[in-house]
Amino acid sequence: MNKFVKLLTVSLGLTASAAYADYPERPINMVIPYGAGGATDISARTIAEPLGNAVGRPLVMANVTGAGGATGSVAVQNAKADGYTMLFARVGSHSVNPAMKATLPYTLDDFRFVTVYEINPAACAVAPDSGINSMDDLVAKVAEGGVTYSSSGVGSFLHIAAVMVLDSFGVENPLEQATHIPQKGGGAAATAVLNGTATFLCTNSSSIASFVANGQLKPLMVTTAEPVVGFDAPTANELGKPELNQLVGWTGIAGPAGLPDDVAAKWGDWMAEATKDAAFLEKMTSRGSVIELMDPESANEFIRGQYNKFRSLVDRLGMRIEG
Amino acid sequence: MSFYDSILAGISLVGNVDAFLSLFIGIVVGVIGGAIPGLSATMAVALTLPFTFPMQPINGILLLLGVYKGGIFGGSIPAILIKTPGTPASSATILDGYPLAEKGQAGKALGMALWASCTADVVSNLSLILFAGWLASFALNFGPPEFFALIFFSLTIIAGVSGDSLLRGTLSAVAGLILATVGLDLVYGTNRFTFGDSNLMGGLNFIAVLIGLFAIPEVIAMAWDPTGHLGKARSLGKSWVTFREYKDSFFSIIRGSIIGVILGSIPGIGAAPSAFLSYSEARRTSKNKENFGKGEIEGVAAAEAGNNGVAGATLIPLLALGVPGDVITAIIIGAFMIHGLQPGPMMFVLNVDIIYGLFIGLIVSSVMLFAVGSVAIRAFRYVADVPKRILMPAVLVLCIYGVFAVNNNMFDVGVMFAMGWLGYLMVRTRIPAAPFLIAFILGPLLEDNFRQSMLMSGGDVSVFVRGPITWAFWTFSIIALFAIYKSIRNAKTA
Repeated sequence: MNKFVKLLTVSLGLTASAAYADYPERPINMVIPYGAGGATDISARTIAEPLGNAVGRPLVMANVTGAGGATGSVAVQNAKADGYTMLFARVGSHSVNPAMKATLPYTLDDFRFVTVYEINPAACAVAPDSGINSMDDLVAKVAEGGVTYSSSGVGSFLHIAAVMVLDSFGVENPLEQATHIPQKGGGAAATAVLNGTATFLCTNSSSIASFVANGQLKPLMVTTAEPVVGFDAPTANELGKPELNQLVGWTGIAGPAGLPDDVAAKWGDWMAEATKDAAFLEKMTSRGSVIELMDPESANEFIRGQYNKFRSLVDRLGMRIEG
Repeated sequence: MSFYDSILAGISLVGNVDAFLSLFIGIVVGVIGGAIPGLSATMAVALTLPFTFPMQPINGILLLLGVYKGGIFGGSIPAILIKTPGTPASSATILDGYPLAEKGQAGKALGMALWASCTADVVSNLSLILFAGWLASFALNFGPPEFFALIFFSLTIIAGVSGDSLLRGTLSAVAGLILATVGLDLVYGTNRFTFGDSNLMGGLNFIAVLIGLFAIPEVIAMAWDPTGHLGKARSLGKSWVTFREYKDSFFSIIRGSIIGVILGSIPGIGAAPSAFLSYSEARRTSKNKENFGKGEIEGVAAAEAGNNGVAGATLIPLLALGVPGDVITAIIIGAFMIHGLQPGPMMFVLNVDIIYGLFIGLIVSSVMLFAVGSVAIRAFRYVADVPKRILMPAVLVLCIYGVFAVNNNMFDVGVMFAMGWLGYLMVRTRIPAAPFLIAFILGPLLEDNFRQSMLMSGGDVSVFVRGPITWAFWTFSIIALFAIYKSIRNAKTA
């Protein structure tokens, strides 16, 4: 009996590794944890075409939305780690939320990241009639009191971005000196600054590019080392805050934790091919994204690095949500 | 560029077969998508979005707008025929549409829905073209305190859709408010009533609740008493909407359209509250007040005008400010972004041809909607003739598929069935479902805007009377509450 079990285990193991050699044999389910038409959705559907060509099997794109990306992430966390259910991971769902929310049903250890392919520079902006013209003005105004910032919700990238920026500009206790007014979604967050509900917001440059181009919002700073096209504002480095370079949005692809090495390696190869596609590059860069392909190892390192940075800020300021 | 040149530029952009074909296909897809219970206009637009990626920008956007408008009308078809709103916006259409269908006047209700939808569509499109700038700057005056006052006023609708008993209506609304609290707390980000289940973190899915509340009780009732409906007239009949009925409801239609335009131009409200508000206003002022909820054609007209009035107006904040007005326009803004277009004031300068092309397309869309809608009514009329024991299992299958597809999540299907039993219980105890739904939609908005206002003002309640908009809505609220009080007193003395 015992022998039989051993034999079975061995043979199963063999078929398993043989199966991965042929991976993928069938269509791959790709979960997008945010709604249609949003930044993650558009990014995912833009890479889907060249990526599908590279994979050679159809990619079935499904939006599973809710709870700031948590619902879709949990769906992949609980899926079989066979490479047929993968997730479009995003800065909000996979570095800010895990850093802030204690009761989140997943941690970074529940996923294996196979790539990060898109970086979104972040920018801080105010309404043009606010009388605030620079980060220094903003910080001075915070000291006076009554400054508020909007975000797309608690535990969103926008939330931590505003706090991190204030913190690095020397605001002693950003949680008390400025008030967070969470909104439902990134569009509502920008609207809140437009109509004066909030003083400023820090978000992905692409999501406010049209407001900046239209003169409805005034950018104060971009967080990258290089200037961002269309944003007439100094970079974080020019303002002497290079540590803010880590404050960028990103999109990547992840599988469940137990994803086999050869599957991860295959994704690395596919992504290398897909991101060379000229149409993909043109579409993404015209929207203000920076295409920066990371292999599985460096993607993991990058995400952990950002997570640790956010986590230490969260712990230092006591922002962790325990409930 | 003069106005004349702008129009010419627009015509040259859309003056081809492709553009109108896209719009037409969009409307057809929308009407069919809206007519399938559980699929909803939002889903139909989301599913169409990837198809627009390789298209010309204007054609892609016209396709999506077609799906949007078609979907909002299409939703009224199952609402009238099988008491299942095809899209949340058509929930108010059930209140009088379904009783009409039960009386064998489904054709009349469907016809009126189409007439009202198209009329409201025209009003909405004209408002967009003529008053976009003005309405957008008005909408920008809506901060959290203004929203709070508006939503507070809108909650008085509950009295209008409670039926015979205000107590039962209030009970229903309270249940809706409680279930709407499930999910993440907006301000603290903490879990509320999730019982450690990650599926509940996102709250109860709106479509699942909607379908569960309206469609499933019908299926359960059918399973409970499979022959109870026999002998009742239920064919489309010869009854068709007459011009006289249209004329009689015309005032309600125009008022509904205007309500739709105003609520549509304010980002963040959507079509369902507008339909209910239009309905309750029509009921409040109608000569046939008693007949509302029992199969009053004017009720169908008001509800459909209220939801279609929103469809063009949600483009006002989108085009004039670059802010999406509701979930559907949030998807449509993705189509603009895909093509490198940036909606907002500058678009009227940089892409004036696209703006005018859109305007022309929108005007044409009202006519196309009427044509496609007329055909759709004739095609779907046979649904009314299908025996209920065959129809209901088919409805159940569609509902399960639709609700699953919203979020690709089996949990939502479970929510739908749980809500179905609750809905059945409510039917048996004569508790109306509409107040539940209104509270479920408006409750979170009321809470969020209250708390955002408090954060803004640092806890100072005077923020709620900070400007003329809030004063206006408080005045409306007081008038509405007084009217409710009077009607209760009259009912007691009578």
